[in-house]
Amino acid sequence: MIERVLLFAENRYARLVLVGLMVLALQTTVFNDMRPFGVCLQVMVLLAASAGLARGSDVGAIAGFIIGLLYDLVLTTPMGLCAAVFAIVGYLAGVVQSLVYEPTWWMRMLLGSVASAIGMILLPIASTITGATGILNARVLFVALIVGLFNAVLSVPAERLCRWVLTEPAAVR
Amino acid sequence: MDLRGSSVINFTRSAFGVVFRPIESATKVVTRPLGNAWNGMTHYNDVVKENDRLNDLVAFSEGSTISAIASVREAQELLSLNGLPTLAGIASCTAQVVGQSPSNFTQTVEINRGSECGLKVGMPVLNAAGMIGKITDVYNKRSVVMLLTDPGYSLSVKVVNIPAPTTTTTAAPGTPVGDTTTTTSTTTTTTLPRVTTTTGIPGFVPGVTIATSSTLAPLPGEVTVPVGDVGPNQPGKSTSSEITVPPGLDVPLRETGALEGRGISRTPIVRFVENQPRFGSVRIGSPIISAGGATSLAPPDIVIGSVSRVVNRTGTLGPILEVTLAANLKNLNFVRILLYQPSSERAVAP
Repeated sequence: MIERVLLFAENRYARLVLVGLMVLALQTTVFNDMRPFGVCLQVMVLLAASAGLARGSDVGAIAGFIIGLLYDLVLTTPMGLCAAVFAIVGYLAGVVQSLVYEPTWWMRMLLGSVASAIGMILLPIASTITGATGILNARVLFVALIVGLFNAVLSVPAERLCRWVLTEPAAVR
Repeated sequence: MDLRGSSVINFTRSAFGVVFRPIESATKVVTRPLGNAWNGMTHYNDVVKENDRLNDLVAFSEGSTISAIASVREAQELLSLNGLPTLAGIASCTAQVVGQSPSNFTQTVEINRGSECGLKVGMPVLNAAGMIGKITDVYNKRSVVMLLTDPGYSLSVKVVNIPAPTTTTTAAPGTPVGDTTTTTSTTTTTTLPRVTTTTGIPGFVPGVTIATSSTLAPLPGEVTVPVGDVGPNQPGKSTSSEITVPPGLDVPLRETGALEGRGISRTPIVRFVENQPRFGSVRIGSPIISAGGATSLAPPDIVIGSVSRVVNRTGTLGPILEVTLAANLKNLNFVRILLYQPSSERAVAP
């Protein structure tokens, strides 16, 4: 029994769920109250982008999907909407990161920022596709800008966190 | 993507809520100092200004509240007397707002009451100022309220057009022509017409569907301008109709439309207001109230807000009205849910 629990704990996606719950709790509390310029800061999309930056496009897509699914559970949007968008964000972040030769810390900040901003633009587009009306307007760009700027600040520690969370089980041992 | 109304998805969300709430509560306790520090840095001046403004507002409101309560009670008694629906006859449940949506694209808040209190999807939610939204998701001990500003929100409403201010011109007796004293004011200078009625309500005769009136002739030298002489409904002018509009019945005209939210940064609008001459042009400040009806999301006569801007359109298209909401949706605390479920939201029996 204990062996099974340990095996579960060693699984990187299980760790991601646990860390994702912690970040989700921060998202719905402190980051929900802090609204610079009236924009709710989005650390969940940062986590998805950081997963792609830390471990590449494939892992980033899966991690983004899991993180988005957790976010979907507390939102009223259709289930799977954020999961699909965050999977794209994680994948894109991984692909772009692989194209850069030995990215520096500021380059990673920039990539995390851009990936977050793209996620904030994709989210209302996906919502519109699923039937929501009136949310695809100029404010989306403003929201993307603010979220991107803020996430740039947190992208380096977020990437380190994701690098630890998404470590291969063999490396943990 | 889920299909709306899926029991599996709803159960999953509900179960996740049960697991996640303790984590969220603990995080809220831990991060509260951080949030307070942030709010102290960014909102201190706003809070001071808001406090001053609210102090003035409280002082101003205290006097008018008592008369308003009396008026509301009288109106409710009158509606009950005539067998018309009133809000007093609808049970309600009080709840507290415990959080808002972390999304930038939906305007929802979460309240700490759910199905245990009898809440169901579609029930209207109010605060002390007026309507704030409707319930869209119900769990055991919490519910999600979609605010009026959400782009997905729509509600049939009534626009109560305020009658135009009356301009009266009076000439003093014996004044020579060319030396006329003209008085123009925004208040109505009238001599009350002597109306014969059997009740204390002007123009209202119980049991009679076609109201008639008999106005006594004015006294010599008496300048009489009945209130009904202004506006489209003028007493004695509708010769082709058998309905005689009694003087003194210059009540505000009403027209229905559809209120639609447009997101957090823009005010809601009212569409589909008919462009008919009888209604006249809508004036800024005209109240907006819920229309009611069998398929409406809310019972009638709930205050929503007032017209802040009128956008006129060409042709037969009616105007679009921008609405300033009576309730401040940024500072919601205690709310009241009317246990009124519209027929459109009731589950259809298989």
